[in-house]
Amino acid sequence: MAGSTQPKFASLHDVELCGLAATGERRAFGELVRRHGSAVRALLRRMGAQPSQADDVAQDAFITAFERIAEFRGEGTFVAWVRRIAARLYLKRMQRERRLGELAEEPSEADPVGGPEAEAVIDLDAALKTLATGERVCVTLCFGAGLSHAEAAEALNLPLGTVKSHVKRGLDKLRARLAPLAGADLEGRRGNG
Amino acid sequence: MAEAGFERRLERLFAESPEYPDAPAFASRVERRLDAGWTARRWLIGSAGVGGGVIGASQIVMSNLVQRVQSAGDSAKVLSAGLTQITPKAEWLTSVYSGGAVVWIASALAIVAMGFALSRVIEEL
Repeated sequence: MAGSTQPKFASLHDVELCGLAATGERRAFGELVRRHGSAVRALLRRMGAQPSQADDVAQDAFITAFERIAEFRGEGTFVAWVRRIAARLYLKRMQRERRLGELAEEPSEADPVGGPEAEAVIDLDAALKTLATGERVCVTLCFGAGLSHAEAAEALNLPLGTVKSHVKRGLDKLRARLAPLAGADLEGRRGNG
Repeated sequence: MAEAGFERRLERLFAESPEYPDAPAFASRVERRLDAGWTARRWLIGSAGVGGGVIGASQIVMSNLVQRVQSAGDSAKVLSAGLTQITPKAEWLTSVYSGGAVVWIASALAIVAMGFALSRVIEEL
């Protein structure tokens, strides 16, 4: 039955579930979706997708992952692999909607960076929302989806230097917002999408 | 150093994703799509198999294959009769080539083989 957690799958490791999924076992893949669906959806929201759009792209990403499961060699984690697929699908969608051009634009100096005093409680999601679109997408691709600068540049169809400067500016802004928080406190916080 | 530390912390923050309350519903939607795709694929392959079978059968019927085999059987009988003059042990040839039953047996075997092949293809897909 769709959606029900089967005990025999719940106890298996991701790699074992991937092996079963590669033989066409859709219930095993369903268990992987249950485990990692939120992570993929969160990444897309952090890239700037609206919740419904993030869910659509995440669904497509999982379907694509199932179809290409034989390509997954277990060299990284399953969730990191699906995140990369999802990020690329989202970028394609942005490209179709002609929104990718926004990424090449230099952000204005008036971007709302804010200071630590602006909010007493801050989390990653809130901090990401203060970044310009290009910065947000580049930082999320590199630190959330695990792409290298060069891979991000290729995926975004932007010059490598542009991606690097987006990432640097984005990191500076995030540091300004997140650094004042103590490390332990920071690590304890979780995004709320 | 501080830079690298911040980047590692950022990676950890990205890795710590919220668990959305509708996560089970999301998983169900994905599973339903997988099931729908699987069903559609089975129907597509099955339909293609049936279509191919119908076309093949109609080609067999329209090519008067039975009559041709019948006439081949008659020729075989003549040949067999000739061979009988040489050796009386050649009668088996007549029994093998006589009648259109051979065609139907061969067709049935071909359909069974096609069924096996089709089910194997579906399994592979």
